[in-house]
Amino acid sequence: MPQYVLLLHSDGEAWKKLSPEEMQKKVEKYLAWRNKPFVVGGAGLVRDTGRVIRAKGDGVSVTEGPFSESAEVMGGFYTIEAADFDEAVKLSRDIPHIGLGTIEIRQVMVYNT
Amino acid sequence: MQESGSPVLLEHLFRRESGRIVAWLAGLLGSAHLQLAEDAAQEAMLRAVQAWPFEGIPAKPEAWLFRTAYNYAISSVRRGAVFRSKADALVAALETGAQPILDLDREQSLRDDELRMVFMCCHPKLAPDAQVALSLKLVGGFSTEEIARIFFSDPSTIAQRLVRAKRLIREQNLTLAMPSKPHLERRLNSVLKVIYLLFSGGYAAHSGEELIRSDVCLEALRLGRLVASSSMGAPRVDALVALMALQAARLPARTNTTGDLVLLEEQDRKLWDDSLIALGFSYFDRSIAGDQISEWHVQAAIAATYASAASSAEIDWSSILEHYDQLMQMTDSPVVALNRAVVVMKVHGAEAALAALTPLAENNALHKYHLLSATQGHVLAALGRLDEAKAAFSAALECHCTVPEKRFLQRQLAMVSIERHETRK
Repeated sequence: MPQYVLLLHSDGEAWKKLSPEEMQKKVEKYLAWRNKPFVVGGAGLVRDTGRVIRAKGDGVSVTEGPFSESAEVMGGFYTIEAADFDEAVKLSRDIPHIGLGTIEIRQVMVYNT
Repeated sequence: MQESGSPVLLEHLFRRESGRIVAWLAGLLGSAHLQLAEDAAQEAMLRAVQAWPFEGIPAKPEAWLFRTAYNYAISSVRRGAVFRSKADALVAALETGAQPILDLDREQSLRDDELRMVFMCCHPKLAPDAQVALSLKLVGGFSTEEIARIFFSDPSTIAQRLVRAKRLIREQNLTLAMPSKPHLERRLNSVLKVIYLLFSGGYAAHSGEELIRSDVCLEALRLGRLVASSSMGAPRVDALVALMALQAARLPARTNTTGDLVLLEEQDRKLWDDSLIALGFSYFDRSIAGDQISEWHVQAAIAATYASAASSAEIDWSSILEHYDQLMQMTDSPVVALNRAVVVMKVHGAEAALAALTPLAENNALHKYHLLSATQGHVLAALGRLDEAKAAFSAALECHCTVPEKRFLQRQLAMVSIERHETRK
């Protein structure tokens, strides 16, 4: 079955507005969602600034980044299985991340040999 | 994907641990650095919500939160320009003080930290509404928005109140040390008052927010028990805990399924929380062990009389009136006098109740208090003075009250109007 990756971009300000009680409710909702049978993987990303490597002359340059203009930072991803894109979107409609940032859905490429 | 048998979070764990982390770190850093303690607690929760949805809940979530908050505090002090010359001393205080908590059994030590925080929040230099807001924020782990919702206030008003209170703590150097002997008794009285203010704030019925309000009641009850079980325990503390437990037991019966108020006498006693009633009576028994009788004792005795009646018809109104008479000797609270008038009506009838109410109409503290007008309306209706009753219920509706209360008053007003119409026919 095709796999889709849900890239979770987090709005740090929206998170900070939550009370401890609300944060706990969120964690519980995420975990319940993660437990659904179609979720096959995922990982969180450390929020601290990463590194960006690009070509510079003959070598490479390493800088801190990316610094996005918006407050949204990629906070992690889930991988799900779905028959097609429509189903992937349908399954993702109740992900608890909604309201705390945006979700980008991309299909995992498979090479048919 | 989740392993079976992975840990489940205890109810209110974040809120509870947030208060405990603040009390713990503020204890190590000193009350001048309350903000850092709060930031560290918030950061720990934020990291948890970012990590746990993917990694699952760690084996020891409380320890995880404490460790994360601690690490954040250390690194903030190290890199923060504001701490400058004090940074080394603060890091040392954190490093030496934190280890016992991070390593082993922390319950007793944390209880002491919390207790100190409660006592600081109730410092007499802070205004009563600031004491309440601070206790909810720092000890209870409620957010500014939640506190605003509980007290029908604006979040920015609460935020401002908190900022001012914290500034005052810094400027006046209010420490987390327990007050010295001569001041201890008075401070304890102020702590008990704040705890009961918290409780009453949560107890005021308000539709849609039932959950958070009963959370506040239970938090007040928890704080009362915290004080009762400490070296500050005293019979009057037990009495306050008894009072809160017996009143909180009625929370589930206080509104019906449509969110309308149900008066005490009409409540379904089967809905009362038996374990809270049992808790209330056990604290009530403990409270009468001493030889002092406080206002809390008398209030608890009133709640116990209600709770021990097998049905509404069997409520012992004359002994409740005796308790109120005793209470009137101890306090000049107009609200107590108002509640007494309601009981006077039960025992001596509406005419006597009206006489008891008359002096209260002059009291400024009850100006625009909906329950005064509502009680007047109730008494006047019983006397058949329907025009005046109607005016009183209308006046009550002009005052600030909750939505279920408003609906209740509207029903009363409608009933009086119908009755008035019938008698005119």
